[in-house]
Amino acid sequence: MDELYLDNIDEYVNDHDKIVTYKWLSLTLGVHVNTAKQMLYHYLDHKRKESSAQLHATYLVSGKFVDKGQTVSLILQYEESLYCKARMSLIVSVHVYSVQKALLRDSSPLYSVDYDAVRDHLQSCAKYSAIRCTSAVPLSSVELQQARERQPAPTPEPVVKVPSVNGEASHPSKPSTKSQKGIMGMFSNKAAPKHQDSVTEVKLEQKEVEPPKSKAAAKVSPALNFFGNQKTKKPNKSDKADESLQSSSRLEQQQHQSSPPEKKPEAAAEESTKGSKKESRSKTKRTVDSDSEEEKMDKKKRRRIKKPEPDSSDEDSEKFFIISVPGGTKIRKRRRVLKPKTFVDDEGCIVTEKVYESESYSEAEDEAPVKQAPTKCSTAKLHAAGNNKEEEKKSQKKTSANTNKGTKQASIMGFFQKK
Amino acid sequence: MATLTRQDINFGQVVADILCEFLEVAIHLILYVREVYPSGIFQKRKKYNVPVQMSCHPELNQYIQDTLHCIKPLIEKNDAEKVVVVIMDKEHHPVERFVFEMSQPPVLSISPDTLLSHVEQLLRAFILKISVCDAVLNNNPPGCSFTVLVHTREAATRNMEKVQVIKDFPWIVADEQEVHMKEPRLIPLKTMTSDIVKMQLYVEERAQKT
Repeated sequence: MDELYLDNIDEYVNDHDKIVTYKWLSLTLGVHVNTAKQMLYHYLDHKRKESSAQLHATYLVSGKFVDKGQTVSLILQYEESLYCKARMSLIVSVHVYSVQKALLRDSSPLYSVDYDAVRDHLQSCAKYSAIRCTSAVPLSSVELQQARERQPAPTPEPVVKVPSVNGEASHPSKPSTKSQKGIMGMFSNKAAPKHQDSVTEVKLEQKEVEPPKSKAAAKVSPALNFFGNQKTKKPNKSDKADESLQSSSRLEQQQHQSSPPEKKPEAAAEESTKGSKKESRSKTKRTVDSDSEEEKMDKKKRRRIKKPEPDSSDEDSEKFFIISVPGGTKIRKRRRVLKPKTFVDDEGCIVTEKVYESESYSEAEDEAPVKQAPTKCSTAKLHAAGNNKEEEKKSQKKTSANTNKGTKQASIMGFFQKK
Repeated sequence: MATLTRQDINFGQVVADILCEFLEVAIHLILYVREVYPSGIFQKRKKYNVPVQMSCHPELNQYIQDTLHCIKPLIEKNDAEKVVVVIMDKEHHPVERFVFEMSQPPVLSISPDTLLSHVEQLLRAFILKISVCDAVLNNNPPGCSFTVLVHTREAATRNMEKVQVIKDFPWIVADEQEVHMKEPRLIPLKTMTSDIVKMQLYVEERAQKT
C-alpha cells in the first residue's frame, strides 16, 4: 500500500508525460500537501538510485540571502537550487515542487498544471493545504445576501486597503453565466478575461496581465492601486472555497513580514522564473515602480506646463512684425480666407471674384497678416489677357466651384458697369 | 439546447476564430519550445488564463497572422483537414512536423452553458502538452526554419489561387520533399473532442536529425 504511490507517480510522469507538482498530486490523490512533497521526494530518490530514465525536478527554496538579507522564495532546477542554497544565510524551506520528464524552459507549464487541478477541485482546493485560519468560516446565506446588497457601495471608493478589497470582492458569488461571459469575451478578442476562479488565481492572473514582472501574491496590492479595483470585483464561481481562500490569502499577507508560509511562496514562486529574480527585490521594484509612475504623472503635468514656453521664445524672435499682445500664448497659423479680387478679363471687363487665399494669422485679431500666398489660380488671372488664355479659362473653371456665388454677383455687376 | 447548423455562418466564423487564435498561440509556442528562434524574442503573455510565450518580433508575428488569415476561410467551410507546422533544417529538409488534424461535425448541437469553458480547458491542455513535448522529441540541429502547410479537402485551394486573400502573400503548392519525411517517427501528443471541433496533435519526427 505504501509503495503504490510510487507506481502512481511513475505512471503520471513516464506514461502520461505529465508534470507532477506537489499541489496537483495532493489534489489528485487526496493527501495533505506535505505528504505529497514527501512522496515526490521519495520517488525522485528511488529513481535516482535506479538511474533509469532521466527525470527533472524543480525545487522550491525559501530563505534569506547573505548579500542583502532578502527573503526569497524561488522555484529552481537542481543545480540552481544548490547555487542558491550556498548563498543563503537562513534556509527556511526546501522541498520538491514538481517532477517531470522534460526540462522546463520557464514556469508557465507549472502554473497551467496547478490551474487545471485547482479548477477541477474548486470546492475543496484548500482542503489539503497547510495554511489554516480558525476564524475563516463560510458565510451563511443571510450574510451573503447582505454582502451582495452592500457590494455596489464599495466600488466608487479608492483602493486603499487591498486585503479588505480582495476579501470583499469575492463575497458576492455571482452565477456562472457571468463567468461564461468573461470567457466569451476572451474568445471575441476583447480584453483579458475577467473571470476569476479563486482569489489566489485572481492574484496570479493580475500578475499575468501586468507587464512581465515577477511578483508575489501579496504584492499585487500596490499594483492594484494603479489598475483600479475593476479586476478585484469580478465574479467567482463558488462561495465557500473562496471564503477559505480569502482568509488564507489574508493570512498570507499578514504573515508576509515573518517567514513566508508555504502557500504564499508557492503562489509567488509560480510567477518567478527559475533564474535570479527575487521576491523581496520585486517588492522593492514594486515600490520603485509606484514611485516612478507618480513621477511620470508629475512629468506629464510638467510637460503640459512647459509647452507654452517655446511659443514665447518664438514671439521674441518675431517681434519685428508681431504686435505684442499682453499675456497669453500666441500661435501663428495659416488659414484660407475668401477675398475679393478685382481684375480685367479678356473682354476688357473689370471682374471681381472672390477667391480663397491662404494667409498667416495669429490668435489675436488686431495683428495685420504678414504674408499672403495667393493661389495659382488667382495669379494666372492677374496676368494680362492674351498671353495664357487657355490657362486662364482653366483656372477660372477651377475656381468656379469655389466662387459660384461670386461669379454670379460679378456678372451682374459687370453688366451694370459695361453701360 | 440550441441546434445550429453549418448554414449558420456566424457560428462557423466563431469556430474559425477560436481555432485560428489557438493555432497562433500554438505556433508561437512551438517556435519557442523547439528553439527555432532565440528565446529572447519571446515574452510571456496570457491566453486561456495561463501564461504562454509569444514572440515580439513584428515580422514574424505578421507572417504568422497573415498565414492564419488565409487559412481561416478554409476552416470556416471545414475544408482544412490538417494544418502542419514543419520545422526544417538548413538544407530545407523537414526534421519535425507538428500536425494539427481537425474536423468539425456537420450538424452542431450546442448547449451554450458548457460549450466554451470546456473548449478552453481542452485547448489549455494542448498548450500544456506542447510545452512539455521536449521530453519525447530529440533536439533539433541548429539553424532551423519553419513553414506552415495546409492540407485541404478536395479542391478547396482552387479558390485560394484565384483570389489572393492577402495581397503579396501567395500560397503555393508544397514541394514533395516538404510534405513527406524520410523514416518518420510518429509521436501522438493530444486529442480533443468537443461539440464544435475534433482535433488531434501529433508530431512526425525524422529518425536522424543531424
